[in-house]
Amino acid sequence: MANSQASALEPVNVDTVAIRIREKNIKTSFIARYAEPLALLGALAVLALIFSLLNPRFATIGNLQNILNQASLPLIIGVGATFVILIGSIDLSVEGVMGASGLAFVLMSANSRGGTDFGVWAFVVAIALGLVLGLISGVIYTKVKVPSFIVTLGMWYVGLGIATILFGTDTVPSLTNSELTTWGAQITQALPNVFWLAAAIVIAGALILRFTRFGRVALSIGNNEDIARANGLKVSNNKILVFVFAGGLSAIAGVIATMQLGMASATVGAGNLFLTIPAVVIGGTSLGGGKGGVFGTAIGVILLTTLNNGLILSGVSPNFQSAVSGAILVLAIVATAWSQRDRLRISK
Amino acid sequence: MTKNNEQAVLRLSNIDKSFGANHALKNISIQINKGEVIGLIGENGAGKSTLLKILTGIYQPDSGTIEVNGRQSKFRGPRDAAGAGIGVVHQEQSLFTNLTVAENIAMSGAGGAEVKARFGIYNWRKINKSAAETLSIIGSQLDPRTVVGDLSFVDRQMVEIARAIRVDTSKGGSPLVILDEPTSVLERGETAILEREIRKLKDFGSVIFVSHRLDEIMRNCDRIIVMRSGEVVADRATETVTEDELFKLMVGHEAHAKVKSHHDIAKNSQPAVEIRGLGRKGKFSNVSFSVHPGRLTAIVGSTGSGREELSRAIFGAEKFDEGRILIGGREVKSWQIAKAVKSGIGYVPAERKVEGMVGGFSAAENLTLTHPGKAALGPFVNPLARSKVAQGWFDTLDVRPNDIGQDLGRFSGGNQQKVVMAKWLNSPELNVLVLDHPLRGLDPGAAQTVNEQIKLACDNGAAVILLSDTLEEALEMGDEILVMRDGVVSASFDLATDNPSTLDLLERMV
Repeated sequence: MANSQASALEPVNVDTVAIRIREKNIKTSFIARYAEPLALLGALAVLALIFSLLNPRFATIGNLQNILNQASLPLIIGVGATFVILIGSIDLSVEGVMGASGLAFVLMSANSRGGTDFGVWAFVVAIALGLVLGLISGVIYTKVKVPSFIVTLGMWYVGLGIATILFGTDTVPSLTNSELTTWGAQITQALPNVFWLAAAIVIAGALILRFTRFGRVALSIGNNEDIARANGLKVSNNKILVFVFAGGLSAIAGVIATMQLGMASATVGAGNLFLTIPAVVIGGTSLGGGKGGVFGTAIGVILLTTLNNGLILSGVSPNFQSAVSGAILVLAIVATAWSQRDRLRISK
Repeated sequence: MTKNNEQAVLRLSNIDKSFGANHALKNISIQINKGEVIGLIGENGAGKSTLLKILTGIYQPDSGTIEVNGRQSKFRGPRDAAGAGIGVVHQEQSLFTNLTVAENIAMSGAGGAEVKARFGIYNWRKINKSAAETLSIIGSQLDPRTVVGDLSFVDRQMVEIARAIRVDTSKGGSPLVILDEPTSVLERGETAILEREIRKLKDFGSVIFVSHRLDEIMRNCDRIIVMRSGEVVADRATETVTEDELFKLMVGHEAHAKVKSHHDIAKNSQPAVEIRGLGRKGKFSNVSFSVHPGRLTAIVGSTGSGREELSRAIFGAEKFDEGRILIGGREVKSWQIAKAVKSGIGYVPAERKVEGMVGGFSAAENLTLTHPGKAALGPFVNPLARSKVAQGWFDTLDVRPNDIGQDLGRFSGGNQQKVVMAKWLNSPELNVLVLDHPLRGLDPGAAQTVNEQIKLACDNGAAVILLSDTLEEALEMGDEILVMRDGVVSASFDLATDNPSTLDLLERMV
């Protein structure tokens, strides 16, 4: 009794003080959240403007379709990579998984070496191979506690090895069904088929991240794994699932790439990793995990693909191409990290 | 047994717990009734944490019984404790800063059942609604969709409390919420909000409130339990004790009289540090003040007032883009930490574990890292001399355990802070000491030692800039007080002539 009376006498202005402080704190942080994606879109617009001034062929429908076509594989891979990076890990096995799945797909479809055409089962087996490779990476990473960097680096070469073994020493197997080989580039509703597929996967990825326990737990692991464990979340299982998910998407990308190439190649995925990981980071997903999202990655992929496309159209010599796009990647990453450098400094 | 058996939410009888030779809890028996707020105090190492860990199912007692709501209970893990109606708000916040308030509440162990995702798919509407209901129980009007990272500390603390009261009380009985030093990171205004919430909790549950701030304990608790060396040394109704008595019960000796080290500004003397029109875009602007040797200037302000950024700019840990800093009368150029250290500035950061020390290094190594003094022979380390230097400080500051070779990360917070202080005090040329919340989270005994060190530094001629935890601390220790609001100095008081009350200071903070 005496206590509650004493508390009622406490000066009222103390509380209003605190409430005003609180309101101020909430307000200031609000603008910051949408600044990053808007800045990215702005950068994309500036880039597009520059390139269309440099070469009138840049801003044609044909070229834009071409850009979206080129962006499709990195978009698909990028969804998986985003999830992996969100839990604070990294998946370097993308190109190996692509190679293995691509070869499995060719050999089980109608191909120049003969054999049986398993039809839709070719897709199923190829993607299952990717899921299994992802599962192996995930299990080794979580159970043996080896850094994901090393596990997936190894898995990259395991994938390439599987592809090479499947490739064998016989003639190069190529797809004989022209429906498969031309599907990707065909235009439906003004956009290439393969881009429709990629867009569907991006949207599905965003929905999974937003609306499923799998996605939310992945985010919480990236934020603070210890707290996630203390809350009784199944951290290891969720991490393994993320690698399975990423492996499956790499496999889809491998199949699509193989279809576009029209024949088997162990290195069908070459170059994809180099574009995808920076795209994820430029898209605002923090390498430390916990922060970011699929749409950011999508913008990042489109940005980098536009950059590559524009450089070629602007007549940058192929000899310089690699160095220039590498340098621009580094610059883009620096620009992305710039706003965080104070925070980086604190966390040393 | 007794007639108030019915309303006993928790009853511990003869709880004993040892870790090897360390007898952490000796025959603890306490009872907590419905609607009671119990203050639990004791120095670091008194056994509070062990007791809390037993209550939350992390440790199992060697002997003794736990009764919750009249039923004898055995906690095999945190989930059991949550299931029995015991929720904890930890000292270190355990929220996912990237997720929303509602999700954080939903994800907590036992409480999440009713919003469990069907087929793994989230029903955001349901999660948000359920969280809003829980929040309204504790009288909070937070939007459940807010991302926790955007919240102030006190609001995060509210989310933690909401999580704690979501423990499963379906079997009847009322929840018991343990607040483990909930205010140690809060500013004054925020503490007031939290205290108001604690009073609300009494309507439907009981609270164990752990804090090092005795004034808070006195204000908020009905009954106070004091622990020392693994025993309950007092269990008293709040009206029957005074702060001084509590201090004595905890520490085992009387509190030293609080004497301010006061030095007048000597005529024609040079300020040790002078700030002229210092500013950093979006953080603080046009800050000017000077501190003379031997004087202590306390800077007070709420979160976002810019005082943290200012103090870091003075130490060179952050940039400033206008104004000047003069150290000993000479303007500094392209200011950075290495130069600041060289000019005799010391800095004790608020984030002790992250910025103040090298975990994994021994205490002796940490202590002699910045100013090795005699411990260095040119570029080489002289281990014998280092031990001697470190041992000297350990004895002066009564660091416990008195083992200079132990990894600094394994000392308790108060003792870590003593070592961090000593790191700077070891410099014979210490001119300016910048202290960012030096007493945060320290028990009264350790706080007193650190306080004495601060006074000693003043006596030895250092100018001290103090960002205090509380306004009382600022009034008690400062020669001058600078109040900051929205990045500018809104008032300054010379305590030799002015005598502002805490309310005077608060009014100028907002």
